[in-house]
Amino acid sequence: MAHEGHNALHDLLTVRGVTRRDFLKYCGSIAAALGMSETMAPQIAAALEGAPKLMPTLWLNGGSCTGCTESIAQVDSPDVATIVLDYLSTNYFETIMAAAGEQAEKQIEETIAEGGYIVIYEGSVMTGQDGNTLLVAGKKGTEILSEAARGAAAVIAVGSCAVDGGWVYGYPNPAEATGVQAWLNHEGITTPVVNLPTCPVNPEWIVAMVVQLLLVADRDVAAFVEKTEWVTRSYTDRKYGAVDLLMPKGIFGQSIHDNCPRRGHFENGEFVTEFGSKEEAMGYCLYKVGCKGPQTFTNCPVVRWNRRTSWCVEAGSPCIGCGGLNWVDNNSPFFHRLADMQMGDALGNVQPGSVGAVVGGVAAAALVAHGLGMKAAGRVGDGPPMEEMKKYDRKRLAKKGGDK
Amino acid sequence: MARAVIDPVTRIEGHLRVECEVTDGVVKDAWVSGTLYRGMETVMLDRQPEDAFYVTQRICGVCPISHSHASSMSTEAALGIEIPNNARLIRNLLEAAQFLHSHILWFYTLAALDFVSPINALSANIADTYALAQAAGTRVADFGAIAKRLTAFAENGQLSFLGGHYWDHPGYVLPPELDLIATAHYLEALEMQAVANEVVAVIGGKFPHPMTSVPGGTAFVPTEQKLDDILFRFTRLKDFIDTALIPDTLAIAPFILETTTYGGGCGNFLSWGVFDSADRDPYNRFLPRGFVTGGLTAEEVGPDDVTEYVEHSWYDSASGLNPAKGETSVNFDEYNVDNKYSYGKAARCKEKPAEVGPLARMVAAYVYEAGGKTLVEDTSVRTPKALIDLTLEALGVAGKPEVLVSLLGRIAARNLEAAYVVDLALMWVNELVGAIKGGDSSYFKARESFDGQGAGLWEAPRGSVGHWIDIKNNKIQGYQVVAPTTWDIAPRDAAGVAGPMEQALIGAPVFDVERPLEMLRIAHSFDP
Ligand code: SF4
Ligand code: SF4
Repeated sequence: MAHEGHNALHDLLTVRGVTRRDFLKYCGSIAAALGMSETMAPQIAAALEGAPKLMPTLWLNGGSCTGCTESIAQVDSPDVATIVLDYLSTNYFETIMAAAGEQAEKQIEETIAEGGYIVIYEGSVMTGQDGNTLLVAGKKGTEILSEAARGAAAVIAVGSCAVDGGWVYGYPNPAEATGVQAWLNHEGITTPVVNLPTCPVNPEWIVAMVVQLLLVADRDVAAFVEKTEWVTRSYTDRKYGAVDLLMPKGIFGQSIHDNCPRRGHFENGEFVTEFGSKEEAMGYCLYKVGCKGPQTFTNCPVVRWNRRTSWCVEAGSPCIGCGGLNWVDNNSPFFHRLADMQMGDALGNVQPGSVGAVVGGVAAAALVAHGLGMKAAGRVGDGPPMEEMKKYDRKRLAKKGGDK
Repeated sequence: MARAVIDPVTRIEGHLRVECEVTDGVVKDAWVSGTLYRGMETVMLDRQPEDAFYVTQRICGVCPISHSHASSMSTEAALGIEIPNNARLIRNLLEAAQFLHSHILWFYTLAALDFVSPINALSANIADTYALAQAAGTRVADFGAIAKRLTAFAENGQLSFLGGHYWDHPGYVLPPELDLIATAHYLEALEMQAVANEVVAVIGGKFPHPMTSVPGGTAFVPTEQKLDDILFRFTRLKDFIDTALIPDTLAIAPFILETTTYGGGCGNFLSWGVFDSADRDPYNRFLPRGFVTGGLTAEEVGPDDVTEYVEHSWYDSASGLNPAKGETSVNFDEYNVDNKYSYGKAARCKEKPAEVGPLARMVAAYVYEAGGKTLVEDTSVRTPKALIDLTLEALGVAGKPEVLVSLLGRIAARNLEAAYVVDLALMWVNELVGAIKGGDSSYFKARESFDGQGAGLWEAPRGSVGHWIDIKNNKIQGYQVVAPTTWDIAPRDAAGVAGPMEQALIGAPVFDVERPLEMLRIAHSFDP
């Protein structure tokens, strides 16, 4: 490889005591997370080796619970994944940075003045109380985002709150939360925004995006946009109107149901109907206790969580669709299927403000797609075929003796 | 007279501002302000109780498990459900994993940088570092390699998250060798907190925001393999706590002994109690419930003893309400320390400000044991009183537990609690294995009722957490949360009495108002 012995990667590997073989293996998993073939691993490694000095990064916390920061701490450490993250010089990162107060704020100013940085934004954009629902150093959170985003090469919105307001946007949205893209549209800021939903963000996806932006695309945002496959999801923010969101297709292009290890039981009509039961011990499908895997598009079953230890369904909980848009309104009550809601009091369980979002929104209906043997692909933001989905749900529930 | 301000306070969960009036190098008055409002309680209205379990934990990404447990417990209290014994053990294990994650992360990643300078570590002598590690009984690492890595980091000119800080502040007093040891353990701690969270992932699917402690018990059904995975990880954590966290605490303490002379605060300690015992009595939890306001006695305390005041908070709802009747109507007004200055409400216990967190819990447990009661039958578990007494002896203040009511005491209490909790966790894994082998396969109890009111009072690593729920016809009519931070960062109440962190700041020395390191230390000691 080029520059062997003289580059940052080589030094990092040596200091960390990581073998080249382990490193290549890791690059393979990054490739997988990006939806590329694992044979791309050497190319990723080569790109890493040629990488120039660190990319200045401002990690900004909006209306967050700090869960996405926590999540990024849950990568393989101190080994391979951290090496990738070491390519970011996180000049501002409230939760871990040594400096505080004035000294911390200076870091933002200086980074913006120098330019050539990226912004990673965690948490909702807080517009309530005239923007005063979030104050940092006496400044409105919205102003801090706008100033930082304007000069950034790119913004990565991590976690559902940053993507579309997350749970904070849940009806009636008392703090008037919104997502980064919606806010930047409103402010007329055109910096590209990459969206990584789920609550919190899965850290492997951030690593994958960092590799893609810094290394594969050599920090060239245009190349980054061009070399990555995207899906566009569209939704309507109750305050800021229609929003299109860019998401990497390798991560958000397939439904959870598609890759779920319990899928065989779904096909066989073998369901868990009570938590902690013997059906759960046998790993039956969680559809009947409300699993939103069929309508949620993320690769959670593949990448899993906490260094690939497990994931929601494996532990016995239905997916609550935290990777969907407006997930709290669209997916609660979490233990019910759409069919139940319909059979109950005609969508009466859905928050009044969210009905429109469900019908016109983004709960992409892979369920029907798969039930009918079709493949979901490409643009999935045109709204789910609700009627078909309900019909499918009804049919399943009515099936006599089929479900165990 | 000068104003010293830290805004934002970094290395915490959330958004916080600390302002102090400093005269002759001493804090005369202090105001602590929570600067974020999100409105969880309002978002929960009209939803179903199980939805609250999933959503309300998202108040805090560092302690979601405790919120989820308090939420499920409130629903269970409202609907009259007692969860099966296996579910009790599994929740205890999940909660324990979070405590260990949180305490390890707090000490090394959040708080240590107030005392430890990785920059100063650059001048450490490597041989002396090994000698010091051995003398302190703390674990060795490849100190040479770490020094090299630090040097590369510094020479590159991009200090990243260490940039911009006042490392030349005279408050950084550790010898460079100790700085290097602590920095090495800082890196190892990153690994260990992730190991703790692998336990969370095994049981709950993921961290943050695990999925399985649903109202009624748990959705997680362990297999032999999973129990092994859990046991293995707790064993690793115990090793790290015994060979790094505790000896590091004891090695650093002698250099910062002056921190036993300030930072104590209001001296009222509240613990709702955490880690249920088989009898489910909150006063017999492994960290028991109690309210201690001085001396070695604890008062009984319950959900009715809580009131929240908003005279100095940005709300226009009524003040002085119990959370069962609580309201949340936000109304921002300018930041004005003489009037309203925080999104935090002033929570009061029996009308007094109350410190919550590890110090409060360890005090409550100490009082329990000092009263002659046995916390744990299993003698392999090091109990709070034993751990505290040993530490006091090591610091040369044997028999003086009152020394704990200080900045250093608050730091030490958290780390000692970790030692106790990891022992408990190992005990519970074995108990669970025994129960399952004995044929107990019950993990969940379905509910039969759809109406009721209840409170779930529990403890997060950072302190007492309470969720209050009012359910009618399966819909949430009322939901209130009193989070740990609400207690500690409380602003003044109706009577103008300052909150616990504010009181801890008052009287503290500040060497340089432009670089108020001491204020930062006190704020961090609460793990806000
Ligand atoms: S419904 Fe859920 S549990 Fe069942 S197969 Fe689909 S994703 Fe898996
Ligand atoms: S499986 Fe579902 S609930 Fe779990 S993280 Fe993925 S999208 Fe969220």
